Amino acid sequence: MGKGDPMSKKMKPKNLSDVDKGLVAMFLKMSIEERLRANDNAARTIWELRNAYKKQRTIRPGSKHTA
Amino acid sequence: MPTKSKEPSGPDLSTLLEGLIEADIKFILVGGLAAVIQGAPVTTMDVDIVHSQSPENISKLFVFLKSMGAFYRRMDDRVIEPNREDLEGKGHALFATRLGPLDVLAVIEEGKAYNDLLEHTIKIEFRGHAVRVLGLKTLVQLKQMSKDLKDKQRLPVLKETLRQLNDYEM
Repeated sequence: MGKGDPMSKKMKPKNLSDVDKGLVAMFLKMSIEERLRANDNAARTIWELRNAYKKQRTIRPGSKHTA
Repeated sequence: MPTKSKEPSGPDLSTLLEGLIEADIKFILVGGLAAVIQGAPVTTMDVDIVHSQSPENISKLFVFLKSMGAFYRRMDDRVIEPNREDLEGKGHALFATRLGPLDVLAVIEEGKAYNDLLEHTIKIEFRGHAVRVLGLKTLVQLKQMSKDLKDKQRLPVLKETLRQLNDYEM
């Protein structure tokens, strides 16, 4: 570990209950089409990850493929 | 009997929304996608609409659902196709379609139906079509009354989006 406190003043811990105002500002700068595309991409990624998780769960216990 | 093999390779909510518009269905976009369109950085997995319950509109919606291979989303594996009566009633009909989940809502919070909500909508231009979207201010007001945990979690983001939108317009 380097010198000093690893959590420098520039890297304040993020309060998870706070709204990310920068993210809101970023989305407001997007066009409607871009916002919808961002949501579609996110939804598709979540869908794929859920499927992958479901698939992993159905692999037999003891199989080489289980984590 | 249809099977769930009609499931798509992932949701495409924009195309589902476009399909509703092109089918000339009278509806108001509500829920998460209405918030997304108005700039809220949230992710939603479905399209929520409040539809006009005129007989002509019900017919168009019914035909559209059929064309999308829609069936009711259920906990079990039974495949039940849409029926007109549910679209004419006062409940929520929750479908899976080949482009993703579609929730067809006769009413939302406080029993508000299509005609009640019209004055609280904004018209936006999407892929060359006009679509009615429930205004963010009304969305926030309604979500404040909601007992749904997901709505409560989303509320701070919606409020911040509304605050920044108001700052833009001032």
